[in-house]
Amino acid sequence: MKREYLIIVMILVALLAWPLVMGNYAVSQANRAMIYALAALSFSLLAGRLGWFSLCQTTFAGISGYTIAILGVRFGLPFPLVVTLALLLTTLSAVIFGLLTVRSRKVSFLMLTLALGQMVWALSFQWVDVTGGYNGIAGVRMPVYGDLNLNDTRVFYALVATVTVAIYLAVWRVYRSPFGLLLLGIQENEQRMRALGHPVALARFTAFVLAGAIAGVAGVFLVYDMGIMSPSPLGLGHAVWVLTAAVLGGYRSLLGPAIGVAVLIALETLVSQYTDRHMMVIGVVLLLSILLMPRGLAEMFEQHFKRKSKPQASVTTTTRGEEP
Amino acid sequence: MKYAKTLIVSSISALAVGATAHLQADDTLRIGVIGPTTGVFSFFGEQQRMGVELAMEELAEQLEALNIEVEFYDSQGDAETTVDRLRAMESRDDVDLVVGPVLGGTGLAGLEWAKSSGMPTVISYSAPEDITMRDRAENVVRAGWTGAQPMFAFGEYVAEELGHQRIVMVGQDYSFPYNQLGGFLKGFCAAGGESVERIWHPTGTSDYSSILATLPDGDALLYNGAGSDGLAFFQQYYDFGIDAQMPLLGGSNFFAVGDLPEMGEQAIGGLSALQYAEGLETDNFQAFRDAFWAMHGDEVMPLAPAEHGYVAFMMAVNAFESANGGDRDALIAALRETEMPDAPRGPFHLDEYGNPVQNIYINEVQEVDGRLVNVPIKTYENVSQFGPFDAEEYLAGEPDSRDFPPGNCSDPYYD
Repeated sequence: MKREYLIIVMILVALLAWPLVMGNYAVSQANRAMIYALAALSFSLLAGRLGWFSLCQTTFAGISGYTIAILGVRFGLPFPLVVTLALLLTTLSAVIFGLLTVRSRKVSFLMLTLALGQMVWALSFQWVDVTGGYNGIAGVRMPVYGDLNLNDTRVFYALVATVTVAIYLAVWRVYRSPFGLLLLGIQENEQRMRALGHPVALARFTAFVLAGAIAGVAGVFLVYDMGIMSPSPLGLGHAVWVLTAAVLGGYRSLLGPAIGVAVLIALETLVSQYTDRHMMVIGVVLLLSILLMPRGLAEMFEQHFKRKSKPQASVTTTTRGEEP
Repeated sequence: MKYAKTLIVSSISALAVGATAHLQADDTLRIGVIGPTTGVFSFFGEQQRMGVELAMEELAEQLEALNIEVEFYDSQGDAETTVDRLRAMESRDDVDLVVGPVLGGTGLAGLEWAKSSGMPTVISYSAPEDITMRDRAENVVRAGWTGAQPMFAFGEYVAEELGHQRIVMVGQDYSFPYNQLGGFLKGFCAAGGESVERIWHPTGTSDYSSILATLPDGDALLYNGAGSDGLAFFQQYYDFGIDAQMPLLGGSNFFAVGDLPEMGEQAIGGLSALQYAEGLETDNFQAFRDAFWAMHGDEVMPLAPAEHGYVAFMMAVNAFESANGGDRDALIAALRETEMPDAPRGPFHLDEYGNPVQNIYINEVQEVDGRLVNVPIKTYENVSQFGPFDAEEYLAGEPDSRDFPPGNCSDPYYD
């Protein structure tokens, strides 16, 4: 218990110190990292708790982003209303997607989310009257309240950090709640959970909608961060990037996705300064880290801590660290 | 607690190192060049890079005198990455002027960023018309073109010189071809054309048999697209023997030099229009081409993205020279005054919206010295991004889209 609170305090201190110590570019990179940490959390919620690998979490972020761009820029609706509508619409599409996918298993779930994600991507690309097509919709800006310009990198940082921390804390509670344990139970042995009288399909569906809503929040920040909404964040490349980050960090743990995103963005930023072939360098790093740490960076840290504390029975894996 | 201490100490020291690493305070002027040098569109970014490198070599003395440094950035052809790199230029690397981006979507993302940052920007090859029209910004000018710009003249040429009345257009379903067709239609209808039938297909289509089997009648077919889609369409068009019924015309990038060897001799005689032609015979162009070949080898033909990068970089250096340093307002004012009487593509100056007013060439694919190249057969001089139309009127109209402007020239829109 104590150790967990210590970690939380350390993270908060680091988040507070970052904008005070770092330059503008590092702060804007941190904004991106937190936005993608939310997207990766949304992915990990499904992958880590249910064994569902989704390729459409960035699609939810995209739906949310497009809603904001269309309502905010084309119709000029006020900021709070636009954000509320964006989150509602994203949740609604998560409900629809959820109804379609709730009965599927691992590979078929992956394929379904791939298909749904690609459909929305194609729609964003081709429904030019609404989405602006390949050119996208430009001029998406946060409002300015008096002296408080929400578009300012540091103000935006404060906003994103607050929301991201709040969501991570909320998901932390969810993971430890009976609902979170039920999800793990379903992943482990669905038949048994059903036999025990748990509403398996409902639990899955709820988790899916919850994950969709988190991705929706990421989408809100994403579009305001870029100032333009185009089909590129909905593409397969971004979905795979989020998957990579989550796997690298460790999608089974709470902090894994955030760590994965931070490491990947730091790598991209640092390596691309020195060579155009940075993707190859990053590929090699990924290859090595997945070979050497198949369960992600986060769990390597955790094991480091746990070695000193009393051993804790793993819930989702066998003693050899394999998936059941 | 031991861990906490080490963690806190190490993170604070890391922060301190990070914070100081990029503090640059000196009188060096910096130009950041951005384009897709990796990814599917790396061809365009590489071309721009080669063009800029040539300009750097030719302007070496000025660069030294003005203490200008040049840094290249990779946009990966992605809007988000573009914005990220632009932020790095401004707040990390202390860049004073940006050359690029190259692609349509990244150009708009770059414009959006430039508006909020105020960075003097010379967009090179990126062609969405609103960059210098409805969304224009004072600090953003363009060295290249708009999608519609060469097509006004092409539409006019097809109706007037070739005498085609009814055109069937097959095109890739996204903004750039919409804009190309928009320009074509406006020029075509004004010059007495009758109608254009549109058939859009998704990008990445490799099988055109269903389209080719049900083509409506027309005097000629305009393929409004490029790349691997264009190549596949070209092959199948000839395999189906449709070339016997309708001659094939191309959008601005259709008969691109990179694709011509694969198209082969059938491409000879193919017509398209652009503000550039690798078969130009002016002294300025040939000097540019020979210098380019001397630097990068003569198996690489300098194409429009290379020339636009070369010219954009020259515009940037000229602006630094006349602004006598890196003062933003002076730079922007100098950029907007740009006149390039000796550009390889031909003389041009910027209109009041920041887009070149330049020659448009009607190009024909010919074999020259064993290579297939686009040779200009007719030149339309001083064409602006509004073609023959009045700027205010043009801007008041709807932007081009999938179904706009109307395909029938008797539509009241054209009155």
